Amino acid sequence: MKPIPRRKFIRGTALAGGAMLLLPGMQGCRFAGGSSSGNYFLGEFGIDEALCGRLLAKALSRGGDFADLYFEYTVSNYLGLEDGKVNQSYGDISLGVGIRTVKGDQIGYGYTQELTEESMMSAASTASSLCDMSAVKAATSFTRPVTGSYYPVPEGFDGIPAQSKLPVLQQVNEKCFSLSPEIVKVNAGFQSSIKRILIVTSDGVLAEDIIPGGYLYSSVVAERNGRREQSFWNLGGRRDFSFYDNDVINEVASKSVSNSLKLFDAIQPPAGEMPVVFGPGITGILLHEAIGHGMEADFNRKKKSTYSTMIGKKVAEPFVTIIDDGTNMNLAGSLNVDDEGTPGKKTVLVENGILTSYIHDRISAKYYGVEPTGNGRRQDFMNYPVPRMRNTYMLGGDATPEDVIKAAGNGIYVEDVSNGQVKIGEGDFAFYVSQGRLIQNGKLTAPIKDVNIMGNGPKMLANIILAANDLELSRGGAGQCGKNGQGVPVSFGLPTCLVKSLTVGGTEQKGGRS
Amino acid sequence: MTAPKEKQMSFPELADWVISRALKAGAGDCRVSLSRRRAVEINYRDRKPEVIKEATTQGLYLEVFANKRYAAQSTPDFRRSTLEPFITDLVASAGIMEEDPFRTLPDPKYYEGRTGADLQLTDPDYAKMTPEERHAMTKAVEAACLTRGGDKVISVEAGESDESYEEFIKTSNGFEGSSNGTYYNVGASMTAQDEGDRKPAGYNYVGCRYKSDLPPMDEVGAGAAGRTLDLMGGKKIATTKIPIILENRGAGRVLNGLVSPMSAGNIQQKRSFLADKKGTTVGSSLLTVIDDPFIPRGLGSRYYDGDGFPARKRNLITNGMLNEFLVDWYYSRKLGWEPTSGSLSNVIIPPGTRSLEEIIRDLKRCIVITDYIGGNSNSTTGDFSVGIIGKLYENGNFVQNVAEMNIADNHMNFWNRLIEVANDPWIYSQGRFPSLVIDDVVVAGI
Repeated sequence: MKPIPRRKFIRGTALAGGAMLLLPGMQGCRFAGGSSSGNYFLGEFGIDEALCGRLLAKALSRGGDFADLYFEYTVSNYLGLEDGKVNQSYGDISLGVGIRTVKGDQIGYGYTQELTEESMMSAASTASSLCDMSAVKAATSFTRPVTGSYYPVPEGFDGIPAQSKLPVLQQVNEKCFSLSPEIVKVNAGFQSSIKRILIVTSDGVLAEDIIPGGYLYSSVVAERNGRREQSFWNLGGRRDFSFYDNDVINEVASKSVSNSLKLFDAIQPPAGEMPVVFGPGITGILLHEAIGHGMEADFNRKKKSTYSTMIGKKVAEPFVTIIDDGTNMNLAGSLNVDDEGTPGKKTVLVENGILTSYIHDRISAKYYGVEPTGNGRRQDFMNYPVPRMRNTYMLGGDATPEDVIKAAGNGIYVEDVSNGQVKIGEGDFAFYVSQGRLIQNGKLTAPIKDVNIMGNGPKMLANIILAANDLELSRGGAGQCGKNGQGVPVSFGLPTCLVKSLTVGGTEQKGGRS
Repeated sequence: MTAPKEKQMSFPELADWVISRALKAGAGDCRVSLSRRRAVEINYRDRKPEVIKEATTQGLYLEVFANKRYAAQSTPDFRRSTLEPFITDLVASAGIMEEDPFRTLPDPKYYEGRTGADLQLTDPDYAKMTPEERHAMTKAVEAACLTRGGDKVISVEAGESDESYEEFIKTSNGFEGSSNGTYYNVGASMTAQDEGDRKPAGYNYVGCRYKSDLPPMDEVGAGAAGRTLDLMGGKKIATTKIPIILENRGAGRVLNGLVSPMSAGNIQQKRSFLADKKGTTVGSSLLTVIDDPFIPRGLGSRYYDGDGFPARKRNLITNGMLNEFLVDWYYSRKLGWEPTSGSLSNVIIPPGTRSLEEIIRDLKRCIVITDYIGGNSNSTTGDFSVGIIGKLYENGNFVQNVAEMNIADNHMNFWNRLIEVANDPWIYSQGRFPSLVIDDVVVAGI
């Protein structure tokens, strides 16, 4: 095999920026990996089709349904600002291959950081140890699937150089302090990565992708009369540097500042069941927890999900349509191709109130006799893929946001959420509200904060009784979904909508302080 | 076509080489951390292997300090031919950062005084583990879970994972540390058929440094089934103010919200509600929290911390009084304080005298919290809110399982209502907490 070109391998320290890859300007449809000039792993690491064929043959040397190779080279860099100085730079290089042998729903998996044939053969041998039968033939020639291009990058893009990030962080810092004399601390950070992947399967698929990622955030502390409040905002996704313009800098700074100041007037809402209105955008985490995870087909084929008997059944009002989508331009969860070589797709989970499709990887798609939905995702080469969400959102309805708030009567309004969790089998979910308002007599009143809200997925779906015409997709880049110890970037979306009843965790019992 | 193979260097040789190159490239100081880890994982479902995974990984993490500027980067590639430009680039990238006079290596006087004790971090029998043994352990856990779960079982997944690691850290100003260790984790999760479409899932996983310290495999598996069956019929009850018991193994989920604001970083950045509380009362007289790095075979035991400071036992909170903050080198310089250590090792709450059962019997009505869902804690204000799952008792008798409920409070109030500590510390974790009884908590439900 070819030796690794030295300079190129180490490129991607904080100074990254040297052009070394010529990809065609990518818009619209393309072949995964583009033209021959886009064959990154061959050029840089000598990974050719013949070698892939030998590795796949080794992975299937003791039998199995199929095998695949997942090569990854990711360079990431974070620059941080604290106390007015951009004084932290952290970088990471991840390089390796994961080799998987699949038999039915069983997985053998080996990986190595060394892209030598000897090490890779050893990983393939580990993967093959799952089986104990005679060898199965693997493909020796490969075709590239046609995919969309949902995060095109400029020709020669090689990550966002650290030098470019410095002034951006300084501007965020200055903007935050200029917006209010009550701001006492600003932390800002700019994370970016460039991930290159090559997937080769024993049934003859070869897909390659180049994935930009990252986000710009601001986290501020405000002080008023000896009291302090903090708030955070970020924007990002699968984007190059051109995204991070003045508008983005201003939005990151002003949202974090205005949100922190609002909290000085915030109260704890009453505890117990009440109507909850979700504002548009990042609040779509509601769908991610309440239905998205439960629709991941691995949980369903194992009969562990509360949704495992509900396909084809009515689960929500007819105006409710929920989608998990890999094809949104530049969102954090978009995928040209998933980590098993399936092109990015759009999957309708609930259509007009009827539960229509799970989200699948190859194993579950085979189990259910359907096409993979392009949801086979993994954190990195050290992990095998499982069904994961991408960008999950609900389509808008006919009402206005004001109508929705009015219809709630008395309850709470959720503006921003920081995290959530679900118990798949029970369908019980929770998410943490960092910003919100009380709704009293159909009107938004006092701000609320630091409240955990709980519900049950199927019950919540049936209880979505009104949706507005203002669907918004979150442009945040920091959203990470965790499953089986693996984190992958995702995004969310929601129109303003009303859920008839959820459990709100306050410190006061309804009807006053007890 | 193959590149000439370089002679492999030992960790100390490689560290010396990296340091000399970094200094030559213009770094004033540097710290290099080298690590290697071998990990194996086996999972069973339906009495056959579902996943078999195995690999070795390595990493080099280099931090450079140049003219009061700082940059750090990791790489898995140890070849000198690729490290040479890696180092040069990293030193150059530090050069573009802004000056920060506080970012230096620690004063070497703080490296002195490391324990000579053997903390027993490595199981001498680790190398004897065979694939057959791993399969046998996993099968035993699965079988016990299936047996105990009986006809309620929808799905059982049992797993065993183990790893061995070694690390070597050296700085250009005289710190050198090496350590190695082993870790085993076994357990199972079970999904059961409850009423309607409800399928409660429970789990039981335990972790140890020595294989011989693991409880019997059938006990682990049966425990997973038992904890799952304990979730059957879980429902919310009317919102109420009631004593709650944080079960030992999960208590850290709430306690973390009290401990993380003790870090100097949070304090210096004005994100800590405890910033001005040192020497004052933050909990009832029953609240004592100790950071003890010297527990033999402890999952958090260590000889030195990330700054190279020797491990030291610290009484963080004693009888409700906040004694010490977690001060690393960098923030000690920013705050003008003496450094302690910025990170935790084994965190201990000393056990009380009575069993959980005795305590429940004496409480008129209480909820034992066995798991959590969602939730978060605000380090700046001390407010927290988290979803809970648990069991309701009245006069010592089990009444029902509860789910889909919430607790919310402020840490400055919450820990003042700690009224009893049970005698049952959970030892399979870095946080060795007994069950904790908190009075008068609003538990939100219907």
